[in-house]
Amino acid sequence: MHRAPSPRAVEPTTRHHRTAFSGPGLRRRLLAALVTIPLALAAAACGDDGGDSASDPNKPVELSIFWWGAEGRAKLTEDALALYTKKHPNVTFKKTWQANQGYFDKLATLTAGGDAPDIFQIDDNYLTEYASRNVTLDLTSYKDGGKLDLSKFPSSLVNYGIVDGKLAGVAFGENTQGLVYNKTLLDKNKLPAPTTGMTWADFITWAENVSKTAKVPGTQDPSADYKAFWVWLRQQGKDLYKDKALGFTEQDVAAWFELWKGARDRGATPTADVIHEGNVTDISKQLVVTGKAGTSWVWANQMPELKKNTKDELGVVAYPGDPSAQWARASMYFSVFRGSDKKDIAVDVINFLSNDPEAAAVLGTDRGLPSNLDIRKAVASTVSDANMKVAIEVQTELGAKFGASPQVPLKGHSKVRAELIKAAEEVQFGRQSPAEAAKAYFAIAQAAIGQA
Amino acid sequence: MSRRFWRVVVLVLILAVVLYPLLWMLGTSFKSREEIATNIGLWPEVFTPANFREGWQNFDVSFGRFFANSAMVALLTVVGNAISCLLAAYAFARLRFRLRKVWFAVMIGTLLLPGHVLIIPQYVLFKQLGWVGGDWPYLPLLVPQFLATEAFFVFLMVQFMRGIPYELDEAAKIDGASPYTVFAHVIVPLSRPALVTTAIFSFIWTWNDFFRQLVFLSDLQDYTVPVALTLFIDSTSESAVGPMFAMSLLSLVPVFLFFVAFQRLLVEGINTSGIKG
Amino acid sequence: MAISTAPPAAPPAGSASPGPASRRGRGGPRRRENIAGYVFLSPWLLGLMGITAVPMLLSLYLSFTNYDALSDFSAVEWIGLDNYREMFTADASFWHAVRVTVTFALVAVPLKLAAALGVALLLNRAFRGVGLFRGLFYLPSLLGGSVALAIVWVNMFNRDGAFNSLLGLFGIEGAPWVNDPRFALETLMALAIWQFGAPMVIFLAGLKQIPVELYEAASVDGAGPWRQFRAVTLPMLSPVIFFNLVLETINGFQGFTSAFVLSNGTGGPVDSTLMYTLNLYIKGFTELRMGYASALAWVFLVAIALITVVLFSTGRFWVHYADGEDR
Repeated sequence: MHRAPSPRAVEPTTRHHRTAFSGPGLRRRLLAALVTIPLALAAAACGDDGGDSASDPNKPVELSIFWWGAEGRAKLTEDALALYTKKHPNVTFKKTWQANQGYFDKLATLTAGGDAPDIFQIDDNYLTEYASRNVTLDLTSYKDGGKLDLSKFPSSLVNYGIVDGKLAGVAFGENTQGLVYNKTLLDKNKLPAPTTGMTWADFITWAENVSKTAKVPGTQDPSADYKAFWVWLRQQGKDLYKDKALGFTEQDVAAWFELWKGARDRGATPTADVIHEGNVTDISKQLVVTGKAGTSWVWANQMPELKKNTKDELGVVAYPGDPSAQWARASMYFSVFRGSDKKDIAVDVINFLSNDPEAAAVLGTDRGLPSNLDIRKAVASTVSDANMKVAIEVQTELGAKFGASPQVPLKGHSKVRAELIKAAEEVQFGRQSPAEAAKAYFAIAQAAIGQA
Repeated sequence: MSRRFWRVVVLVLILAVVLYPLLWMLGTSFKSREEIATNIGLWPEVFTPANFREGWQNFDVSFGRFFANSAMVALLTVVGNAISCLLAAYAFARLRFRLRKVWFAVMIGTLLLPGHVLIIPQYVLFKQLGWVGGDWPYLPLLVPQFLATEAFFVFLMVQFMRGIPYELDEAAKIDGASPYTVFAHVIVPLSRPALVTTAIFSFIWTWNDFFRQLVFLSDLQDYTVPVALTLFIDSTSESAVGPMFAMSLLSLVPVFLFFVAFQRLLVEGINTSGIKG
Repeated sequence: MAISTAPPAAPPAGSASPGPASRRGRGGPRRRENIAGYVFLSPWLLGLMGITAVPMLLSLYLSFTNYDALSDFSAVEWIGLDNYREMFTADASFWHAVRVTVTFALVAVPLKLAAALGVALLLNRAFRGVGLFRGLFYLPSLLGGSVALAIVWVNMFNRDGAFNSLLGLFGIEGAPWVNDPRFALETLMALAIWQFGAPMVIFLAGLKQIPVELYEAASVDGAGPWRQFRAVTLPMLSPVIFFNLVLETINGFQGFTSAFVLSNGTGGPVDSTLMYTLNLYIKGFTELRMGYASALAWVFLVAIALITVVLFSTGRFWVHYADGEDR
C-alpha cells in the first residue's frame, strides 16, 4: 500500500484514453486503473451513524479537532480542551487552527481524502453541503439518548443545526444581525441615534440627514448583503429559502435593489466604489470604522472587534423594520465526522464544551453568545469588555422578540451569497437597472440551489 | 555628465516608484491599531514598535519557529531542485535519446494544468504513499522537489544549457569522455548561472508558497511563515493588520539577504568559468 | 555558432517501451548516449510517473464526472461531456473569464518583459552597489501574493490612495481604481508588472552568459551600443528571452494569486478581475464543483498548449541556440 504506483498502473489508461468515451466497459477499466490508489480509501471515508465498537474506555485516545479563528480563539479553545483532558486523562487532542482564509479548502481536501478531523468547526454556509453528503454524523440519537444535552439551548438554535431531519451540527454561539453606528459622529453633529424598530423608509431618511449634516454618508448600502436582504424578506413574509426552493421572487429582488437605488440617489449612502470596499472588506475595515459611513451592517457580536479599530464610540441596534424577523443564528457549529472511529468520545467532548460551566466560562463569548442559556447568564454577568456588554444587552433584548429561525441555508448558499453581491454591484455602478439585475440574479440563484 | 551617472539617476527614479508601496508598508507597520484604520498616509503620527513585538510573540509558538521551518523547507527544496532538475535538463539539452521530444513535450505539459484541481488527487496520493500524517509532515512538500517535478526549473536549465557552446562537449567527446564525464567536467561548472537562478527562485517561491503548505501542515509547531502570516487575519472575527505587516516585512529579510548573497554568484559565475565563445 | 549532429528522428511512439534497449547501434556511442539519456532523466521520470501523472490523469477523469470535492472518488458519477458542454454553451462566466484573462495576458506580459529587460540591461554593468540595486528591484516580487500585498495595493489605488495623490500633482483627477469595475483589471496588470523581478533575474543571468569577447569583437568592428545590442545581445539572449516569453505567457494566463488576494477571492468588483484560474478555483472549492473545475482546467491546458506550440514554432525564426538545433 505504501509503495509508489508502478508505471504499469498508468500505462493502460494512457493507451485507452482516446477510446474512453466509447463504452462503459472501457470506462470502468479507466476508472479502475486510475482509482486503484484512492479506492482503498473508500472504506475509511464511508462512516455510519452508529457508535464506536465497544472498547476499553480508559484506552489512550487522540482526537483531531479543527477550527478557524484568530489567536484569541485558539487560546480559549485550547484551554477548554485542556480541561477535558484533565477530567479524562486518556483523551488528548490534535489541534489544528487557522484563519478563515483557506479553511474550507483544506477541510474539503481532508474530507475528500477520508481524513476529515474527528471534530470540526463549520458555519451555516457549508453545513448543508457537508451534511447532505453524509460527512457529518447525525447527532439525533445522542441527543435523544442524553449523551448530548441540548436541553438548555433555545430550541430555535438547536433547530438551526438540523438538515434534512438530521442534527448535523451543535451551535457554538448565537448571534444576530446588528446595525453598528458611529455614536461619536452623531453626538458631535447633534443627530439622533437609529433605533430598533424604525422602518426602512425612516432609516433611509435618517441616513440622508446624517449625510447632509455630518458630511459623512449616513449608511453603508446593504443591498449586496445577504443577511440584510434576508431580514427584509422575512419582514415581507418571505424567506431566503423555502424547502428546496428560493423563498422569494424576482420582484422581491427588484424591489430590494430599487429601495437602495433610491437611497443612493438621495445621498444616504457612499458612492459605488466605497460601497464595494465595504462589501469585500474584513471586519477591521468596515466603513463605520474607517469613517467612510455612519453605519455598517454586521453581526451584533462583532461589535467589540470593530471597536478595537477605532477611537470613536460605537452603538448597535437591530436592522430596520420589525425586529422579530431576526433570529437566533448559530454563528458557527461543531460537527463530528461520520467516518471517525471515535464518535462517542467526540460527541462527549462537544457536550462538555457546550455544557460544562468551567469550560464554557473559558470559551466565553468568543464564538458568539453561549448556546446554553444557563451558561449564557453566568458568562454575561462576568463579561468585562464594555462593548461586549452592549452587544450582549442588545442581543438579549432582541432575543425576547426573535421569531422562529429559518431553515439552514441550502446547498449552493455560498453562490447565492456571492451572486447577490455581484448583482447588487451591477446596479450600484449603474451598469444595470434594478429589474435587469434582479432577473439575472434570480435565474442564477435558482440554478445555484438546483431548483428546476 | 557621464553615462554611469545618468544610469544611476534613471535607476533611482524607477526605484522610487517601485519601492513606494513597500515604504508605505514599512510606515504602516509602525502605526498603532487605531491609526492603521484611519491614517492612510505614509508616515505614522506616532511611531510604535509594538507591532513587531506583538507579532513575534502572538502565538503559542514564537515566530522564530516559523522562520526556522520555512528556512528548512526552502533550503531542502533548493538542494532538491538544483540536483534533480540539473540532471533532467542535461538529458534534454545535450543528449540524444529515444522519445526525447515526446518527453520534453510532456514536461512542458505538466506546467500547464492549473494546480487547484491537482490538490485533492495529490493529497489522496500522498496519503496513500504514507506521507501524510506521519511523524514528519514535510514529506509531501519535499519529496517531489527531489524528483524534478518543478518543470519550470528543468525548462529553465535546458534553455541555459543550450546556450553553452557545443564545441566543448565535442572536444571532450573526441578525447573519449563519456556523457557522464562531459556532465561533470563541462556542463556542471558552466551551469552556475542556471543553478544560481534556480536556487534563488526555489528559495523565494517556497518561502512564499501558501496553499500546499496550508493543506499539508496541520500543527502550529510545523507551520511555515506564509501559513503563519495568514493567522493574523481572520476576516470574520479579528484582524491584526499591524503585526501582520510587521512580520511580513521581517519575512522579507531572509529572502532579501539570500538574494543579495546569491546574485553575487551570478556576476562572478561567468568571470571565473573562463568560457570561450 | 557551433554545428551539432542532427538529432536522430524519434522512433514512432509506442514502438519502444521507454527503456534504454535499442536494437541498432548496439554498444555504439549512440546507444551509450541513449542509456545515459535515460539515466539522467530517471529522477524526473520517476517523479512524473509516481507523483505528477496520477493526479493529472485523475483530474482528467474527474472532468467527466460530477465530483464535488468532498466525497471519495469511488462515489463520483460519470456524466460524459456534460461539463464541457455546459462550459461552452451555458456558462457565461466561462467566456467572461476567458476575455478577462486574454486581456490581462496581452497587456501585462509584454510590459512586464519589457520592464524586466530594460532594468536588467541597466543593472548589467558593474558599479558600486549594483547588488543592492538588484535586490531592491527584486523586493516587490519577494512579497509574492501575501495578504499584506492586497492591503498595500488597495491603499495605493484607492480613491484616496497614493496613485491619485501623484496624479493630483499634475492636476489630473483620478478614479477609485481598484474599486471600480472599469479599472480594477488595470490595477491587477500594474501589480503584475511591478513584480518584474523574476524575469529580470533570468535576463541578468542570461546577459552574464554572453561571452565578453563577442562585444569586444563587435566593438573592434566599430559597432556602437545600439548595434551591439542588436547584433550581439539580442541574438545571444534569445534563448532566455524565449524562455521568459513562454513562462510569463503561461504565468500570465494562469494568474491567480494576485487576483485572488486583491478581490478577496471573488474576482470583483462585478467580475472585472475574474481570471480564468480564479473562476476555476471558485467553481471547484467554493461551489464544490470539482468535476466542472477539472474540465475547466483541461480546456485551459489544451488552450495554453496550443499557444505554447505557436510560440515554439515562431522560436524557429528568432531564437538562436549555441547547439545549433532549432527546437
